[in-house]
Amino acid sequence: MLTKTGNVDGAAIKKAIEGRDGKLLSSFYTDDALVRVIDRNNPPSKPREIRGRAAISTFWDDICSRAMTHKVDTTVTEGNNLAFMQACAYPDGTKVYCAAMVELKNGRIARQTVVQAWDE
Amino acid sequence: MRIAYQVVGQGSFDLVFVPGFISNLDLHWEDEGYSRLLKRLSASSRLILFDKRGTGLSDRVDTRHLPSLETRMDDVRAVMDAAGSGRAAILGASEGAPMAMLFAATYPQRTRALVLYGGYAHFHRWVMPPERLEAFIETAETSWGTGATLPNFAPGRVDDSHFTQWWARFERLSASPTAAAALARMNADIDVRDMLGTIRVPTFLIHRRNDARVDPDASRFLARKIPGARLVEISGRDHPIWTGDVDRVADLIEEFLTGEPAVADVERVLAALLVTRIYDTAKLGDRMWSERSLHFQETWRLLVGRHGGRAAGTHAELMISRFDGPARAIRCAAALREAAQQIGVASAQGVHVGEIEMRGQPVGLTARVTMQLAAHAGRGDILASRLVADLAVGSGLHFVDAGRVSLDELDEPVPVVLATSEQHLEPACRPKAKSADPAALTARESEVVSLIADGKSNAAIAAELSLSEHTVKRHVANILLKLDLPSRAAAAAFSARHAGPDGP
Repeated sequence: MLTKTGNVDGAAIKKAIEGRDGKLLSSFYTDDALVRVIDRNNPPSKPREIRGRAAISTFWDDICSRAMTHKVDTTVTEGNNLAFMQACAYPDGTKVYCAAMVELKNGRIARQTVVQAWDE
Repeated sequence: MRIAYQVVGQGSFDLVFVPGFISNLDLHWEDEGYSRLLKRLSASSRLILFDKRGTGLSDRVDTRHLPSLETRMDDVRAVMDAAGSGRAAILGASEGAPMAMLFAATYPQRTRALVLYGGYAHFHRWVMPPERLEAFIETAETSWGTGATLPNFAPGRVDDSHFTQWWARFERLSASPTAAAALARMNADIDVRDMLGTIRVPTFLIHRRNDARVDPDASRFLARKIPGARLVEISGRDHPIWTGDVDRVADLIEEFLTGEPAVADVERVLAALLVTRIYDTAKLGDRMWSERSLHFQETWRLLVGRHGGRAAGTHAELMISRFDGPARAIRCAAALREAAQQIGVASAQGVHVGEIEMRGQPVGLTARVTMQLAAHAGRGDILASRLVADLAVGSGLHFVDAGRVSLDELDEPVPVVLATSEQHLEPACRPKAKSADPAALTARESEVVSLIADGKSNAAIAAELSLSEHTVKRHVANILLKLDLPSRAAAAAFSARHAGPDGP
C-alpha cells in the first residue's frame, strides 16, 4: 500500500499496472477522482466517466482480473502532470494500446484521461 | 475436447453468455434478433460466447455417455481461462441458466454477477412433465432440421418464413438429430434446486410473463431461493432470448451490470421509410397469391439488405423497410418493382422521410404517413412525398409532380411526386433493329443496292440507271435509313445476304 506521505509517480504506476495489482492502483486515487475513458465505444463527446474511488476500484479490478499482460513503456512527469503509455495483450494475441494523462493533487491522482485503441 | 468460443467487444467488464438448448457461433450473426442482442451486450462488455460441448462448432460428444452438468459447467471455466478472463458476469439463458447457477455456486470468486434469463432449477416441474417430454423428443428426433420445434419455443415467429428457415438451419447446424434427442433427455434430468441457497453473487432474473417454453413460476422460485436475487418480469411469450423485444432484455441486463440505465428509449433518428405492398391481390387465386407473396417477401428482404436498408417488419400485407437516405429507398423501390414483375405480382409503394424511434418497428406518424402513401399508390407506382424529391436532389433520380394527397392525421394535403424509372443519357439498350426487310425497298432502291453490291460508285450507278448523281445519293441515304445500316459496305453485304430468287 502507498504510505500517506508517498507520492504517486511513474515508477509506482508502472509497478502496479504491470503487476496487475488492482488494490494498489485504486489506492493512488483521491476519494473524488475522475477517470475519463475515450475509445471506440466512448467517443470524445461522450467519454465514459468513472467517478470516485469505489467505482475506480471496480474498474481496475475488472481490468486486473483479465489474464492480460501490461507493459508501461514511457512515463513523463512535469509538475503535477504525469503521462504514460501502456501496451497490453490478451492471451489470444489481441492488443490494446493506451495513452493516459494524469493530473495529481497532493501526490494523488485527481483526474485521469485514458485514450485507448485495440485490435479488431 | 475442443470448445468453440468467440470474444467480441472491448467493454470494461467480461460477460460470458451460456446459451440454452443448442447454439452455433456462426449462425447467430445471421439472425437479426440474435446479432442485435450480441451487439447490444458487447457494447458495454467484453462478451465471451461459446458453443457447449456437443453443439454448434464444438466437438461432438458420445451420445451414449453424455457429459454431466458439472462437466459442461466446467467448460465455462475453461473458456474463461482461454479468453484470459479471471472474473466475469455470467448470463445464462434457458438451459444455460442451471449451468450458470452451478458455475456461480462453484466459482464465486470468478463470478462478478449472475444474470438468468428464462431460467429454471428443475426441468420436469417448470418446462415439461415427463409424459410430454417423450412426445417432444419424438418430434424433435423425427423432424429435426425442418424447424418443427419452433412452435415449442417461439410461437410468435411461426408465420415468419424467413425466421422459420433460419431456425431449421439452426437445428441442422447446431446438433445432429441423435444429439438433439440426447441433449433433450440430458436437460430433462436437470435439478439444481438444492444448491440455489449457496449462490452468493449478485443475481438478476428476467422472465417473460407468457413464456411458451418455461413457466414464469420457475424464475419466481429462483428469486425466492437465491439470496438477494431480483426478478423482473417482462411482457412477451417467445422464449429464446434473441426473439421478441430483444432491446428490452438488453436494456435490463446492461442496467444491472453497469449500474446505469441504458440510453433512453426514445432516441429518434431521421430515416427514410419505404412501404411496399402487393397491388391488386384479388386477381390472383389465394394459393398463387400466398406462394408469390412469400417469394416476394423473401426477395424484399434480400433487396432491402442489398440497398443498405433494414427490413423493419411487416404490417399485415405491408412490408416496411428503413434506409439512411431517400435516394437509397427510391432505388430499392425501383428494384422491388422490377422484382415484383418477374415474380408475377404488381407492387405499389410509398416513400417518406421523417423522424422515427431508433428502436423497434417504426410505428409513429412517419410510418403511418408512408403506409398511407403506399395505399394511395397505383399499380407499379412509387409514390413519395415531395420532401423525398427535395432531399434526393443531385442523386440522379427523377420525379414528376403528382399533385396532393389528403391523409388522415395531417391537416393539409401532402404534396406528392412519382419516382420515374431511371433515366439514361443513352438508351440502356439499343432499340430493336427494325426488321431489315428487302421488301421495304422500292424497285429502284433494290436496283441501286445491287449495283452498290457490285462495287460501283455513285457516279457509275447514276450513269447506268440514267439518273443524276444527286438522285443516286438520295436513294443510297434512303436505303441506309430503311435498312438501318451504317454504310455502303453494309448495304453491299446486306444485298449479298438477301439475294433472293429474282435478286441481283
